[in-house]
Amino acid sequence: MVTLRQLSKTYSRGEATVTALRDVSLEIKVGEFCAFVGPSGCGKSTLLNLVAGLDLPTAGEIVLDGRSTKNLTSYEWTKIRRETIGIVFQAFHLVHGLTAEENIALPLMLRGENRREIAKRVEDMLDRVGMSHRRGHRPAELSGGEQQRIAIARALAHGPRLLLADEPTGNIDSHQGAGIMALIRELATSGGQTVLLVTHSVQASQSADYVWTMRDGQLISRTERSTELVTP
Amino acid sequence: MPAFVRVFLLLLISHVRQWPLRTLLTIVGVALGVSASVAVRSANVDVLRSFEQTVMTVAGPTTLEVSGGETGLDEQVMTRVRTIAGVTTASPVILQTAVRMRGEQAYQAVQVVGLDLLAESNTRGFRLDQPAKESQLLSMIQPETVFLGAKLAAEWNLSVDDQVDLLIGPRRLTCRMAGVLQSESDRPSSWERMAVMDIAAAQITFGMVGKVDRIDIVTDEKKTVEEVAQDLRTVLPPYLTVERPVNRTRQVEQMVRAFRLNLTVLSWVGLLVGMFLIYNTMAFAVAQRRREIGIYRAIGMTQSRVMVLFLIEGGVFGFLGGITGSVAGVALAQELVALLSRTISDLYVPVGAGEGGLRWAGQFWSIMLEGIVIGCVVSMIGAVGPSLDASRTATVRALAPGDYEASRQLRVGMLGVMGLGLLLVTGLLSLPGPIGGVPVFGYVATLSLLAGLACLAPICVTGWRGRRRYVGGEFGVHGVMRGIAVEHASRSPGRNGVTVSALMVGLAIMIGVLVMVRSFRHTVDLWVTDTVMADLVVAPSMWLRGTEVGSVGRSLPPTWSNVLASIPDVAAVDSYRDVRVSVKGQQVTVVSRDLRLHAQWSRYLVRRGDSSEQLRRAADIHGLLVSEILANRLDVEEGSTLEILTPSGPARFPIVAVFYDYSTDGGKLLMDRALYQSLWHDDLVSVFPVYLRAGSSLDRVRARIMEQLGGEAGGGLPPLVISNSELRQEILDIFDRTFLLTYVLEAIAVLIAMLGIVNTLVTSVLERRREFATLRAIGGSEKQIRQLVLWEAAYLGVVGIALGLIGGGLLSLLLIRVINKQSFGWTIQMILPIGALIQAVVLAVIATLVAGYFPARWAARQPIVEGLREE
Repeated sequence: MVTLRQLSKTYSRGEATVTALRDVSLEIKVGEFCAFVGPSGCGKSTLLNLVAGLDLPTAGEIVLDGRSTKNLTSYEWTKIRRETIGIVFQAFHLVHGLTAEENIALPLMLRGENRREIAKRVEDMLDRVGMSHRRGHRPAELSGGEQQRIAIARALAHGPRLLLADEPTGNIDSHQGAGIMALIRELATSGGQTVLLVTHSVQASQSADYVWTMRDGQLISRTERSTELVTP
Repeated sequence: MPAFVRVFLLLLISHVRQWPLRTLLTIVGVALGVSASVAVRSANVDVLRSFEQTVMTVAGPTTLEVSGGETGLDEQVMTRVRTIAGVTTASPVILQTAVRMRGEQAYQAVQVVGLDLLAESNTRGFRLDQPAKESQLLSMIQPETVFLGAKLAAEWNLSVDDQVDLLIGPRRLTCRMAGVLQSESDRPSSWERMAVMDIAAAQITFGMVGKVDRIDIVTDEKKTVEEVAQDLRTVLPPYLTVERPVNRTRQVEQMVRAFRLNLTVLSWVGLLVGMFLIYNTMAFAVAQRRREIGIYRAIGMTQSRVMVLFLIEGGVFGFLGGITGSVAGVALAQELVALLSRTISDLYVPVGAGEGGLRWAGQFWSIMLEGIVIGCVVSMIGAVGPSLDASRTATVRALAPGDYEASRQLRVGMLGVMGLGLLLVTGLLSLPGPIGGVPVFGYVATLSLLAGLACLAPICVTGWRGRRRYVGGEFGVHGVMRGIAVEHASRSPGRNGVTVSALMVGLAIMIGVLVMVRSFRHTVDLWVTDTVMADLVVAPSMWLRGTEVGSVGRSLPPTWSNVLASIPDVAAVDSYRDVRVSVKGQQVTVVSRDLRLHAQWSRYLVRRGDSSEQLRRAADIHGLLVSEILANRLDVEEGSTLEILTPSGPARFPIVAVFYDYSTDGGKLLMDRALYQSLWHDDLVSVFPVYLRAGSSLDRVRARIMEQLGGEAGGGLPPLVISNSELRQEILDIFDRTFLLTYVLEAIAVLIAMLGIVNTLVTSVLERRREFATLRAIGGSEKQIRQLVLWEAAYLGVVGIALGLIGGGLLSLLLIRVINKQSFGWTIQMILPIGALIQAVVLAVIATLVAGYFPARWAARQPIVEGLREE
């Protein structure tokens, strides 16, 4: 589903150059649930942003679903996100002015889906994340955990084959966090989605099939759920 | 450097670095407002100073002037003047205008001063340079001889003994340049742009044998000037005025006061709109730096210091805007001087265009200082509200996590009530009359109206927010984008209310003035249609150049009446004469014509009764018809009497009717020509209105008139024979020229309002970078982000335009019924120029979308990752 080849990313800040990712290569197969862990600044969020096309690599290549993303235009990346990718953020990033159901409907509307299909999908997603009773509420009226459930529903509403989750439990308490991870796991498994999870929570990473540990922009080790250590 | 200044500079620089575009927009907005204000003020001052300088230069050592108005006075009066104790010298003066011809084209008007050169060449502040070979005496007094100012001669590329073609009155003369007028001092003088003739030559040249325009008197020190003036008034005929030269400047100032005041007030609109811009910028700065302010307060900065910090920041923007605006204002003023002097010459008195560049060079620094002061004051007033808000920041809340601004609710309801209250006050303020001729309450009512609508703006911004269900609804993606945009715009009623107010003020004034000007134009058009019924008007060739060509250039010989009457197909010829005289201290135009003939062929728009009947009655009982403006100013009406000082002595006339007139704001008196001639002993004619027989060919008659009168023109330019429709067009052209400046000032105000919208949208985009990045991350395209910002611009635009339309409608009522009526006295029939209003609204919509386009494009191009990182 996702293949990274010699992927690097450097940022220039003034005269200083920061290397966020260095020659990262890996392959994630369809339906796999992969977590990336590591200390702050190790490059795990950068990796996710590159896969989502939110940022462009300095070197290397990303292959999504067998298709190279090299030289894609901004609009082609937009189309990929509309069709293939769903993203869950640490800070939820719900649109303040819209209700829970409107937030879920938003990516479908941006795709230009017809209203009947939108209503059906929103109903389904609200039901699946257990938020039907809060459909008319705005983000400010929801708890952190509830907001993240809506964000997950939004990320999955258009049926993406790849779900990217960037610290989805980072802004909520551990009890709610466990619930959120269970929800992601459940929805991804039932929908057959490939999941890339970025977290520094050991508890959260335990939902994954395997965990990549990162340090200084490089993949250090891969740990299977069975805790077996694999060197890349 | 004091610690506080260092802190201030540090913070200011960091703010400017953080928001360079906003800072630039704000400074540009202030600069535009300052430039309009500085330009109008400087041009106003320059035009009148130019007039004053000419008056004072020609006057030289003169302490008193005896004048007979436009019809001049008998030179014999001088003998009586010289008998008065205290009069040292009494010199005759003729002050007329000639037009230099280039081939058959009139080129440039020049003021010609007739003086007793033998007696006065060394007393008026000029020297005459002549070649030594020629007898000085002879060259001075020869007819058709002129001395040209040094600058004029240089501009016209003429030297001594060259011939110059001049149009003087109806006659064209080839004069010899006998010498050059040099200023006696090193400083530039008005003499350098004038022409001088000997008095005897001038009398012959201008057809004023035995007459002079003025007698200039130098008094001795044994008696006060006022005592001598008093003695002169007792011995001279009462219609002659005796006054100090400076009084003429004051009279002109008085005459154009209302015109200048209205222009000045209009030029302040840009500043007012600029004030909103500053408020907006500073309010945003305070909101952005709320946490920072909390930190300052926590580490020991006092409330007053916080306030001063933001006030000075506003002041610095004003300072920079003031500098830029002054420079732009000086450049703009150069253009305005020409336009303004043309308008004042069209409507009031001939004033030169001044010497622009030279004077500006001398005044540049004072104009600069004025611009800076205006910029600083306006900006600091705009910054007062946000600065107070900053100083009152609750430290604990500002430092606590969460959105400080979201926890503060603007009392939109209370503001709305205040707005309605101010509208009520506006209504009450429109009732009282003027103070000293100035519509003070009208101006305050205008401010109250705009302030009232500005108070209503926040509630209008929030009021339109309605909950809609997008899911399952018919809205589609555009509907959602619209919804998000409206939702966001209505979430900040304070800031967006200010932006909407700025647009509202700009548009309200644009629409208010537009309705007023169009209504005025419509009224003038109706008036011309109803009152100017002559098929052709025969006028002096330079008649359309207004007051610029002097009194001799604006008159025709009375004998032409018979010539015109003898032309086949001419049914009737009227003889119309207008001269300016002083009536009870007011400069009034006395119009004389054959009232019975006019009653038969044309009419006046009389306030009461029938025009023909009143005209005949006035002719029968030697009565007057008085224009509405003059009736108001002199507080007279139908049935009362009016005393006028005529050359034949004071005379009292019954007022038969009051008529509407839009040709001059100085007022008009109408009397029968026979009565006028018997009192003024003036048989000249200003124009001949000619009425044709039914079915005759206008072009054929016009050709015959040109043919017949061409020979009578004494070799000069043939008279102007203008048709009714051409005359109407000419009047409307003058009207449009008069209001051209108004449109320029309005455009500046609207431009500043547009900057306000750009400013607000840039702020909005900055604040919502995370929201836009989220939309992009979940599949929104760049185009959709652009649409979102444009919808927000459109929403603010719609609210601003709606308020602007309401404000403009109410403002036009104030302008027409209160300000204009009290300033000039004209009754204007109000019309709604639907087409022009639609144009104004479309223009505002386009401008709003253009203002929204750049922030929208910028928003769509922001890096997504950085946006998602925004806190």
